[in-house]
Amino acid sequence: MVFLTLSCWIRNRGPDRYWKVQEVLSNARHFRGRKNRCYSLAVRAVRRAFVYATKARKIKRRNMRTLWISRIAAASREHGMKYPALMHNLVKSSVEVNRRVLSDLAITEPKSFLSLAKLARAGQQEGFGAALGDGKEPPGVFSRIVTLQ
Amino acid sequence: MALTLRSGYLEMLRTCWRLQARHVKIPVLNQMGLLYPAIARHQSSQSKLPSSSYVPPTSLSRPPWPEVSYISSDEEERHHKVVLENVNTLLAKEDYGRLFAVVHFASRQWKVTNEDLILIENHIDAECGDRIRLEKVLLVGGEEFTLIGRPLLGRDLVRVEATVIEKTESWPKVYMRFWKRHRYQKKRIIVQPQTVLRINTIEVAPRLT
Repeated sequence: MVFLTLSCWIRNRGPDRYWKVQEVLSNARHFRGRKNRCYSLAVRAVRRAFVYATKARKIKRRNMRTLWISRIAAASREHGMKYPALMHNLVKSSVEVNRRVLSDLAITEPKSFLSLAKLARAGQQEGFGAALGDGKEPPGVFSRIVTLQ
Repeated sequence: MALTLRSGYLEMLRTCWRLQARHVKIPVLNQMGLLYPAIARHQSSQSKLPSSSYVPPTSLSRPPWPEVSYISSDEEERHHKVVLENVNTLLAKEDYGRLFAVVHFASRQWKVTNEDLILIENHIDAECGDRIRLEKVLLVGGEEFTLIGRPLLGRDLVRVEATVIEKTESWPKVYMRFWKRHRYQKKRIIVQPQTVLRINTIEVAPRLT
């Protein structure tokens, strides 16, 4: 290559390094230490932050669901029912209110939650009654338990 | 001599116990009292024997499951009628204050009242300012009553109306994956359309059977 004048020997680097660096540093301004000022440290910290945020969006859904479940369990125990019994009986009664709204009702609408708990309790008693039956042995069955009474 | 006589008598008593039925216990015990005066004193100091049909309660005398109280169907029907009458009178008077409803919209359930704002993370085919009716209502309640749908309440029973206020986009969320020491990373910016609805009214019609 033949550069005949001095001005042609000067390299032209990219024109927008400043803005590319600012793009990364602006995401790091609230960090602690030199990671909020120095580009090489900030790049690594920002990358980790973005990855954690991506993963946390999935985990947040799981945590919220466990929170709703524990709230519903606590509220149902106040009314003398347990969480699995409540949910199973609500599903059997074809009431399709989801856990988020159930926990909201338990907090803000206690009377409505009580009515749902009573509905579930009625279904539960009905199930027990159907399972226990008359308390008598079926006809034609010989059993020691009945005679010892 | 006396000892051998006593032992012989005891053996005879034991054979008697084995041969005879159980309900002959009492005379045998009296005989024991005569043989051993200490036992007679012990028996007289105790209260009289309980009747033979009494069984002391143990952990197995009741079944381990809780007792179920059975309600007859007539009683249940009467109870239902009373409840229906009360709720119908309440609805006819329109004396209830603020109503809330559980609505299924955009694949989510929302607990909603009047003047509520809802943010929905997708696009809706309605312009800003359009009045919308939310049809899938699961539950309606007020201060005094709750109507539970199984799973939905009827269309002619509840009416929930909302207005579309705003249609925007969410803030740019970053989706980033990085696998250390493998030279793998990808970065993507996700912007989702959002809609804001304002719930105007919740109305319940006074018609229940």
